[in-house]
This record gives sequence, C-alpha cells and structure tokens, in this order.
Amino acid sequence: MNEITLNIKFFGGFRKFGEGLSFAVPTGSTIATIKAVLLEKLNGETLVLDSVLANDNEILRDDDILNSDASLSILPPVCGG
Amino acid sequence: MSATIHASLTSDKINIQGAYDFVADDAHGAIDVFVGTVRNLHEGQNVLGITYDAHEGLAKNVFTQICLEAQSRWQGTKIYLSHYNGELDIGGISIIIAVSSAHRANSFEACRYIIEEIKKRAPVWKQEHYENGRSEWLPGHSLNEANSE
Repeated sequence: MNEITLNIKFFGGFRKFGEGLSFAVPTGSTIATIKAVLLEKLNGETLVLDSVLANDNEILRDDDILNSDASLSILPPVCGG
Repeated sequence: MSATIHASLTSDKINIQGAYDFVADDAHGAIDVFVGTVRNLHEGQNVLGITYDAHEGLAKNVFTQICLEAQSRWQGTKIYLSHYNGELDIGGISIIIAVSSAHRANSFEACRYIIEEIKKRAPVWKQEHYENGRSEWLPGHSLNEANSE
C-alpha cells in the first residue's frame, strides 16, 4: 500500500504536544481519516473533534482527499481579538 | 490610487495614530476606531498577561477577506486592521480596527462587523497567564462551524 507523509503543525491548545507531529497514512486518505489518526496519536485529545485541518491557504473539508505528502496545521477553536 | 484596506498581523506594538492616519480622508466625515486591550480579570481570576498565537498566512488571508466583505457591504469605507501576535501585558493593545466613511453609521457598523467576524473566523488563539502561576488557552469558536456555513 502506498503511503504519504504528513507534517502537522500545532497551534493554541495543541502547543502542549509540542510544535507538531509527522506520520504516514495511506495515499488517498480523507481529512476525516487523518483527523481520526491524529485523535489516536494524541491519546484521545478531544480538542481534535472541534478542530479543523488546513494547508497554508485554506481550511480543508472532511471529505477532501490527500494523494501526496503535505504540510498541514490543526486549528483548534479560535478566539482572536 | 491609494490603498483602502490594510490588514496585518504584527509582533510590533500597535500604533493607534498609524491606523487613524491610514483611514483619514478629506471626503470622509467619520472615523470609528476599535481598540482591543488585555484586561486584568477573567472569570474571577487575576490575569497578568496574554500570549497570542496565530497561523500567520491564514490569519492574513482571513483578515483581508473580512475587510473586503465589510467594504462590499459598506461601500466607500477605508479600513485599517492590525492584530498582535506574541506576549502582551495588562493594557497592551491586541487589535485595532479603524474604519472611515462619509457618514458615521457605515463606520460604526463596519467596525462592529469586522471584530465580530474576526472572533469567529480568524485563526488566532490566546493563552491567559494568571496570578496563581497557571496558564490556560481560552475556548473559542470552532472553525468546523465557519467552514460548513
């Protein structure tokens, strides 16, 4: 099975886990699947459930598919201002 | 033609006069300025300061998008928006929004729209530091909701 490597950068409440995390998932994984993997790797951190994954330009939807290596960010609920 | 929108994320001290000067216009009879500052109390806890965190690229995109939306709804406005990123003490300025328009209603309404949308949509987070030595990332608005609208 072909795999892709993801680099996930952390912000806000995820900073307690460090700067980020890298892991491999099967090519063609959906964002929903990647969030499930992240939930498991972060020991069931429920903040993942209220968070979104984004690339440098936009927020990705749960049914978006990744076919190549990517640098993403996990964005927890926002509270700017 | 000069720019009518300035939207930025900065780690420099926010300059109120700079925001005012950007939106000042001889054809505009109103300037509304919103300044967000760090307060010393949150839900009964004494706050010493706040650390702001932001996804720089996305935050700038969202700031610009929100300003464009405001300018579309309240046409002819000039808008200056700058949000701080980093550590601030009590009283520090976290955000400034200045809007000018020919008449006051558009300035007030556009300014209110921009700050409310930033709170819901901009990828910015804050960690409060308390007198008892604890620090806490504040809860906020899930971008799941914003993304599904």
